[in-house]
Amino acid sequence: MTKLPCIEINNVSQRYPSSKENSLTDISLTINQADVFGLLGPNGAGKTTLISILCGIIPPSSGEITFYAGNTPVSQPDRRRVIGFVPQDYAFYQELTPRQNLDYFGAMYDIPARELKLRREELLDVLGLTKAADKKVETFSGGMKRRVNLAIGIIHKPRILFLDEPTVGVDVQSKNAIILYLQEINRLGTTIVYTSHHMSEAEEFCNRIALIDHGTVISEGGLAELKEKNQVANLQSLFIKLTGEAYRD
Amino acid sequence: MFLMPLLLVFIITIIQDSVYKVVNENQIPLLVMNHDKGVQGQKLIDVLNKSGLFKIDTINQLRQDQIKSELSGRGKMIALFIPDSFSVGLESNAGDVSKILMDDLGLESDSAQSKNVSLPALSFYNDPVLQENYTYSVMGIIQSYMSVIENSLMIDKMYATMEIGEKSEKLKEKMIHNRVKINQVIASGNATAIPNSTQHNVPAWTIFAMFFMVVSLGSNIVKERVSGSFLRLKTMPTSFMLVMFSKMSVYVLVAILQVMLTFSMGVWILPAIGLPELKLPSDLIAFASVVLVSSMAAVSYALMIGAFARTQEQANGFGAISIIIFGAIGGILVPTFVMPAFMQFAGNFSPLHWCLEGFYVLFLKGGSWQELRKVFLFLGSFILICQLCTYFKLRIEKII
Repeated sequence: MTKLPCIEINNVSQRYPSSKENSLTDISLTINQADVFGLLGPNGAGKTTLISILCGIIPPSSGEITFYAGNTPVSQPDRRRVIGFVPQDYAFYQELTPRQNLDYFGAMYDIPARELKLRREELLDVLGLTKAADKKVETFSGGMKRRVNLAIGIIHKPRILFLDEPTVGVDVQSKNAIILYLQEINRLGTTIVYTSHHMSEAEEFCNRIALIDHGTVISEGGLAELKEKNQVANLQSLFIKLTGEAYRD
Repeated sequence: MFLMPLLLVFIITIIQDSVYKVVNENQIPLLVMNHDKGVQGQKLIDVLNKSGLFKIDTINQLRQDQIKSELSGRGKMIALFIPDSFSVGLESNAGDVSKILMDDLGLESDSAQSKNVSLPALSFYNDPVLQENYTYSVMGIIQSYMSVIENSLMIDKMYATMEIGEKSEKLKEKMIHNRVKINQVIASGNATAIPNSTQHNVPAWTIFAMFFMVVSLGSNIVKERVSGSFLRLKTMPTSFMLVMFSKMSVYVLVAILQVMLTFSMGVWILPAIGLPELKLPSDLIAFASVVLVSSMAAVSYALMIGAFARTQEQANGFGAISIIIFGAIGGILVPTFVMPAFMQFAGNFSPLHWCLEGFYVLFLKGGSWQELRKVFLFLGSFILICQLCTYFKLRIEKII
């Protein structure tokens, strides 16, 4: 069965004013609805820049991006309502409690108060934060902060979720909880675009990937298809084969 | 945010009250040591007392070399020493003048009566912290009353020599009291208000506290920039301007609450402990406008610091130090009128100075809109510059 496209990226390039070289060059990708799409690549490859463009944080220097809801393109102003973003940094208020953070960011989506309360409590429960829901986030462990970061990104039940290294620096239990929950919401129809340096996690989690290096897509497709094409046993071998063994800073 | 301004206003007003009294009150505290063996010394004290300008304490029983320690011991700043030869010297001088006059008129004078005693000198002691012009003013007043005594003595002496002593009163009256008067006209709408420690310290330290929000708001802005909260907001269906406006509104509200709290203290608590009462200006719209513009200036400055600082430590350090410097040159710590001219000029570049000037116009000059125009012009420009700098910096960082 052919999947409907969710995001079409056509010839997107990006150059920062302070840089002489492109951060991204001619990126063209199609991410289908309900995909778990992995954007993988070494440090400085351009993954975060591409996610920032997709989330509308920075505009591309050139190229076009189209979002779809079903068969219908989503207008620019409505994009912010359908996407959720979980950045690599702890982008919330550490001096507030998880409840307060969820209320604050939830209010930005104009979620009715009663609905917001139900959603907040559901997320706190699912992500194991209920006991600490009224404690200041600054007292939390790294894993708990990651879960708060994720909860804020999905408070409004986004159709498309962008995750930039969502499990970096967390304990195994937290990582497991995060991945399980993401798989659950993906099963319910959420498209996930994800970056990570954990190849085994990406291999387990993603159904499609794009390998990016030096700002260009060097390989893209279904995981099994790419492994077979490059005659490698796993994603890590594929990654090393295509991006080389040299250190990246 | 609320305790600090209250404590500052309370403590600094108590500390500075005596200094303001010295400068502002009608009666100048004066310590007098009268060692004169005649009557003229007491006469001088009497005319000084009668003038109503001085609040005199006498310490005649002590030695002259004890005056300095008495000054600091009694918390006074000015003392006057009248020497034992004061009357004799004055009378001798009056006799000399009388004799010259009688000789010039070809009349006989009693030369045997005149003893050649040199003109006595009064000694004036002042605390070194007193402004030079203030000291000279007080000396000028004393000199002026001395002239009254000297003239009176000379007239008495001349009339006595001419043996018409009983007729001297009319001339003395004419010479002493019929002098050219100077009418004082206060060049503002409110002729009754006199600056005091409360009127300076309550608004001054409230403004200082308002601007000190830079530490809280500035570092919060840095935190949100650095942590990515601002970027996250950019992915949400809300206007960043609305978010910033909400932040500003909250802090402006906090600043207004600070004003309400500290001014309430000035109205009700300070008078209860013997300090001058803060009388609120009659033009409440002008008052509200000054409070609002001052709050906006403080919040805008904090936003700008938050937008430009790279770290929270930088925002806290630079923000706090810059406010202390602005406060110092702007007349918060020490009123500008006691500063040298170049520092008074430098004060024009401090936003805190203009906020304080706004309150001075309200309290001391009746709060006329015409006089507030300059305050609003400067603070309006300051707010605009801070907001534009913040906007462009956040634009460069792609946050807006």
